[in-house]
Amino acid sequence: MSRIVSVGISEFKIASAPTILMTYGLGSCVGIALHDPVALTGGLAHTLLPAPVRGMDSMVKSAKFTCWAVDLMVEELIKCGCVAERLVAKLAGGATMFEPQHRTTHSGIGERNVTAAKEALERRGIPLVASDTGDDYGRSLEFNTVTGVITVRALQRPIKRM
Amino acid sequence: MKFDALTEEHLDALKEVSNIGVAHAATALSQLIGKGITLQVPKVHLMKITEVPEAFGGAERIVVGIYLQMLGDARGNILIVLPRESALKLLSRLLPREKSEGSLLTELEISALKEVGNILASAYLNALGALMRKTLIPSVPVLSFDMAGAVIDYVLIELGEVGDLALMVETEFFGEEEKIGGQFFLLPDPESLRIILDAIGVKL
Repeated sequence: MSRIVSVGISEFKIASAPTILMTYGLGSCVGIALHDPVALTGGLAHTLLPAPVRGMDSMVKSAKFTCWAVDLMVEELIKCGCVAERLVAKLAGGATMFEPQHRTTHSGIGERNVTAAKEALERRGIPLVASDTGDDYGRSLEFNTVTGVITVRALQRPIKRM
Repeated sequence: MKFDALTEEHLDALKEVSNIGVAHAATALSQLIGKGITLQVPKVHLMKITEVPEAFGGAERIVVGIYLQMLGDARGNILIVLPRESALKLLSRLLPREKSEGSLLTELEISALKEVGNILASAYLNALGALMRKTLIPSVPVLSFDMAGAVIDYVLIELGEVGDLALMVETEFFGEEEKIGGQFFLLPDPESLRIILDAIGVKL
């Protein structure tokens, strides 16, 4: 039996094979998975916002912000014996849950979360090997740290593996 | 005003004003469906953003979320959460024809549920506004039918920008005969919290 570890909003968790990392109900939030296929270790983050607003950037660094989540996970993964050059990334989430006419202050937050995640990965030189982002529905993720495969479940939609 | 600076007295006051607001909303709903609606005593949740999906009954619960912004003299978010079964039951009372097969909502059903949200939120904010002697108005409602976690992360965006805590005033309501029920959540902005408490005469 593999152990299951659940990741909440604005959290990230690191785990090694055969643990399964899960996160539930990603809407505009984005799920970022990093995997080292040799060390069979991975990290999964569930981020809420792309980056802190001005004046708030003195906050304690957490995976609440997409721009920090990748850095925090990489540091932790290296401590756990992973090699930065071997890491690969997968992204899911970043949906638009409510109709666009309503989006005023947080317009396009899902999309901005995805962009922030891609930028953070690029800064670290981590290749993005698969993604399932955007659209207008919520997703739950199951990340297998043995295979690196992510299973994406959504309401009324076929299960996706990537 | 920082959420963690709130005292028991503040929280009780919030429960009380919310109770009055939801009572008006329940009357409106009861008139709409022609059945009595009962309310539970409001609960105030002050919790980490990470814990919010649990308070909504679990991130994967399938719900209809109707979201409105509170605008005017105080700002915040209103979220009305109807479990799937409850939303369908409500629709069967509001719309004449039988529910079509499949569990996606039609345009007409979405529109009807948004209108319910609008009526509930307007009644709630009218009562709250009268109590505060302030003007509070709801924005145009939007709706999402999905996993609770995916529906609510949108509501947490503004709160997440300024802190890690969410303050939610929750009132559950039930139909007396029909299996209609749901949760009414008010999530005031930290700044507006001061305005609300001040307006109802609670010492800060």
